[in-house]
Amino acid sequence: METFINPKSLFHLLLLPCLLLYSSIAYNSSPVEAAMHTNNWAVLVCTSRFWFNYRHMANTLSLYRTVKRLGIPDERIILMLADDMACNTRNKYPAQVFNNENHRLNLYGDNVEVDYRGYEVTVENFLRVLTGRHETAVPRSKRLLSDEGSHILLYMTGHGGDEFLKFQDSEELQSHDLADAVKQMKEKHRFKELLIMVDTCQAATLFNQLQSPGVLAIGSSMKGENSYSHHLDSDVGVSVVDRFTYYTLAFFERLNIYDNASLSSLFSSYNPSLLMSTAYYRKDLYKRRLEEVPVTNFFGSVMETIHTDAAYKALSRRNSGRFEDEMSLDQSVHHIKRRMLIKVNDGDEIHDINPELLQGEEGASKCPWSTFRNKFQKAENVDSLLNYGLVAMIPLLVISTWLVQ
Amino acid sequence: MVLLQRPHILLLLIDTHQFLQCWIAFGSANEEGQQQEEFSEELLVKPLPDHKLLAHFHFQSSAPPSTSNGCHHHLFPKAISQLVQKFRVKEMELSFTQGRWNYESWGGFDPISSSNAKPPGVELWAVFDVPQHHIDASWKNLTHTLSGLFCASINFLESTATYSTPEWSFPPASGNVRYGTLPCEAVCTENLTPWLKLLPCRDKAAIALLLDRPSLYRGFYHSQRLHLTSTESSSEGIDSGIILEQTLTVVLQPNSERAIEVHASEKHVQPSWSLSSIFGKQVSGRCVLAKSSSVYLLLDRGLVAELKFPNKENGKSAANGLTSENFWSNPSFELSVNPDRIFLEESSSHSKSLSILYMFQVEKYSESEPFDIGLMWKVPVAWLCQQTPLHASRFFMGSGNERGAIAISLKSTQFTEGFMSANSKDGSCELRVDVFQVVPWYVKVYFHSLRVFVDQQPRAVSDFIEKIHVSPSKDKMSPGVMEVVLKLPCRVNTAALTIEFDKGFLRIDEYPPDANQGFDIPSAIISFPNFHASMVFLEDDSLNRSPLLSKFQEKCPVMSYTEVLLVPLTTPDFSMPYNVITIKCTVFALYFGSLLNVLQRRVAEEERFLKAKAAKKTGRLPLLLSKLSAKLRGRRREPLHSPPSSSSFINSKLVLKVILVAGLAVGWQYFFS
Repeated sequence: METFINPKSLFHLLLLPCLLLYSSIAYNSSPVEAAMHTNNWAVLVCTSRFWFNYRHMANTLSLYRTVKRLGIPDERIILMLADDMACNTRNKYPAQVFNNENHRLNLYGDNVEVDYRGYEVTVENFLRVLTGRHETAVPRSKRLLSDEGSHILLYMTGHGGDEFLKFQDSEELQSHDLADAVKQMKEKHRFKELLIMVDTCQAATLFNQLQSPGVLAIGSSMKGENSYSHHLDSDVGVSVVDRFTYYTLAFFERLNIYDNASLSSLFSSYNPSLLMSTAYYRKDLYKRRLEEVPVTNFFGSVMETIHTDAAYKALSRRNSGRFEDEMSLDQSVHHIKRRMLIKVNDGDEIHDINPELLQGEEGASKCPWSTFRNKFQKAENVDSLLNYGLVAMIPLLVISTWLVQ
Repeated sequence: MVLLQRPHILLLLIDTHQFLQCWIAFGSANEEGQQQEEFSEELLVKPLPDHKLLAHFHFQSSAPPSTSNGCHHHLFPKAISQLVQKFRVKEMELSFTQGRWNYESWGGFDPISSSNAKPPGVELWAVFDVPQHHIDASWKNLTHTLSGLFCASINFLESTATYSTPEWSFPPASGNVRYGTLPCEAVCTENLTPWLKLLPCRDKAAIALLLDRPSLYRGFYHSQRLHLTSTESSSEGIDSGIILEQTLTVVLQPNSERAIEVHASEKHVQPSWSLSSIFGKQVSGRCVLAKSSSVYLLLDRGLVAELKFPNKENGKSAANGLTSENFWSNPSFELSVNPDRIFLEESSSHSKSLSILYMFQVEKYSESEPFDIGLMWKVPVAWLCQQTPLHASRFFMGSGNERGAIAISLKSTQFTEGFMSANSKDGSCELRVDVFQVVPWYVKVYFHSLRVFVDQQPRAVSDFIEKIHVSPSKDKMSPGVMEVVLKLPCRVNTAALTIEFDKGFLRIDEYPPDANQGFDIPSAIISFPNFHASMVFLEDDSLNRSPLLSKFQEKCPVMSYTEVLLVPLTTPDFSMPYNVITIKCTVFALYFGSLLNVLQRRVAEEERFLKAKAAKKTGRLPLLLSKLSAKLRGRRREPLHSPPSSSSFINSKLVLKVILVAGLAVGWQYFFS
């Protein structure tokens, strides 16, 4: 116990962790720069096996056709089909799948690219696709290679219930799993905005646990409601499409790639009496106003190019003061930020952010801690700083345990 | 300045040198002439005895070994060449098959059936040119790559429990071969499309235009195969020539509507057909990248014998003349288009009659004048295809969910009898049959129970089995493999191999979602190494030889696959574990909860505590302070910093600690300023 030499050094040691804590808080509170929307991805999942679930595959393929028509290329669509319906021996129309009695449109076409099929459609693989944790050998076509500028459409259909969705009639995806995966995606900068669309019974319950910003969710039915199929095709012998998807498609069939229909017009197009269930959408995690977001932001693909010169200037002007700190403290964070592009066009978003940012900076300069921070910056070696911090944790630990006894 | 200029000159020198080198390399490549990338497409149509039609598409691309253009290709698909280079694949074959080849009526002795009749589902084998210990890793990566390339779950073949290492019975016998099958894999459009994307003209021109998905998948049999061989040119293996052979074999029913109409009037007349009636499309335009694109119509030996061409005796002279109208205007059938050439088979040792091949060149036709051949039958014809020496079939014996036996039975066919009697002059004729069987680990085969029945009599195993290689299965690790060489007397009528097995148990998470359907046991491969299926056609110019015909000339051993067996395993009630877990947890919670409660409760102490609490309701701060002072007194004196500033305390130690730290910080601040 003679090791405590003088109170000054003790103070010094104790203060460092506080500073570290402070700096980390400062990071989290500073809003992450909104990356520009640069690309679109779609993950379309049919989770049901067996012939009588034909309609789920037709649902998924209809959406596949729609997003392809609106401009998302095949390599950016992950299509998961839990069973083979097109070449099923029970299918009277081999290599064809229809979503309507009139058989006008063959959804299976000549150029369908299924990434996961049959036994591969499992909860594990689904979560792997979302979170991007694959074995090294897995080919690129089976990965969701999105980045912080991606808008992702996640469409799922199958049989579900209160806070779960069945996969292959043998396992379940729970709302917690989904929320965790989405949270992980957010932390890994795997998306900018995510639209989750689920057509299943009690679909709304699947979104209960979601908490990541930038996520918008649409479900076909509220808790306690069923989602029904639309109509039966007596030639195929089973129902061919679900109501929610049918009316979604009815909305999209009117659109072409250049249309500006907004998400709110999609949401308002659902008629509960036609759906026989109440379409639910959760938008509390989503910042932008739905009236201003075109559906092609998720169902289509970005094509226009935006010059970024101005955006870079704006970035350097606003953050000139803070950049030095970041550089000395954490190189990697800085790199990530440098890679991001500020979207200038998105006016209101930046206006929202600006006052907060300024406040934060002022607060930082007024704070008595800033003097320490300056001193602390003089410690050039980050590693030694970390070591100091760790050493400083020991007395805290000692005191607390000693108090507890 | 000189210093500055020197490197420039040097660079220039290097540049020109490299340029010259490139130029020389390019020139030499051109000089060799034949070293160009080539692509050719062919379609062979053949009427089958049971009123069906066989269409066999054959696309071949070849990339010569070249150092000049590195990994760039003109026609050859880059995906395949990268795959060959990355995994050092020497030879590989991947097939997607739906339906079962009917050996009895579609034949088993011709080159098409012996190399294109495949087991249902996916079959993959590959020979690697890597050291022994790297093969498994290469195989694993190859399966993943192929699964991405062909939209199929080929990656299930990566686990050691699904693939095997044939020692010698598998035809491309070599130690570096790996073999795996997925019998229940679905085959559909999504597998065909990437396969077609490997062709330079995709399905946009010439013969590939016929590949209309709905009519293809309506067929009885559909097998899409990809075979590649890389020829090593140097020891490094980087610059190797690759030959990629893509075949699609379909068995279709020609225009069923008319067949039904005809059915009433004339029963045995073969249905007439044309390409447009089968595929719903015509061959219009040509693939300009193809070296040759031609359509063949093959009339096999049995049919030709039946048709009785009038001048059959002097057939050879007619084939040489090529103008004889007798070959394509026959009283029994009529062709809608005049063939460009007619090939007659060279005399074969296995059959008395010879097959005829009509050739049509697609290059002559254009989009305005599409190519379409039709065949109209006038007289009923019935014939038989040449069959394998022994017809193989496989079945299960026994009942119940515990044990059973697999039997492979071989029956002699009509063809063999005639052939054998002709061939066995010396009396001691033997028929060699190779059997290759892979059994998944959950079917636990007892190899000691192998029995041989010849002509329905149980016989000693050692009398007929010349060679046997067995590698027993390991649970969840590797499948059981059995390779047997049988030597049967030529006059054998039936032979059978039986082997007993026990059914294993799987863990609950190892069952597939449709476990009640049963588990597949992959096809056994029965090959006859002494018999070679080949068709040699008389060709006048060997320069312009078509890849399909040269493929027919290769001597490949006759092979046949048995049926896939479906073994029902005991499947548990999948909800049972949840019931058990729930009940167990409830019981445990009730039991241990109450037990712990009883054990831990100290009635006297609780009472005392309650009394103390009632006595002084002063709160925790004085208590803590007293504790603190007690500690201080109990130990040596320590330089403790300023005591926490008194403020409104919530009774929590955490808050105390936080305030302590904050106080320290404030002290520090004043100390420094």
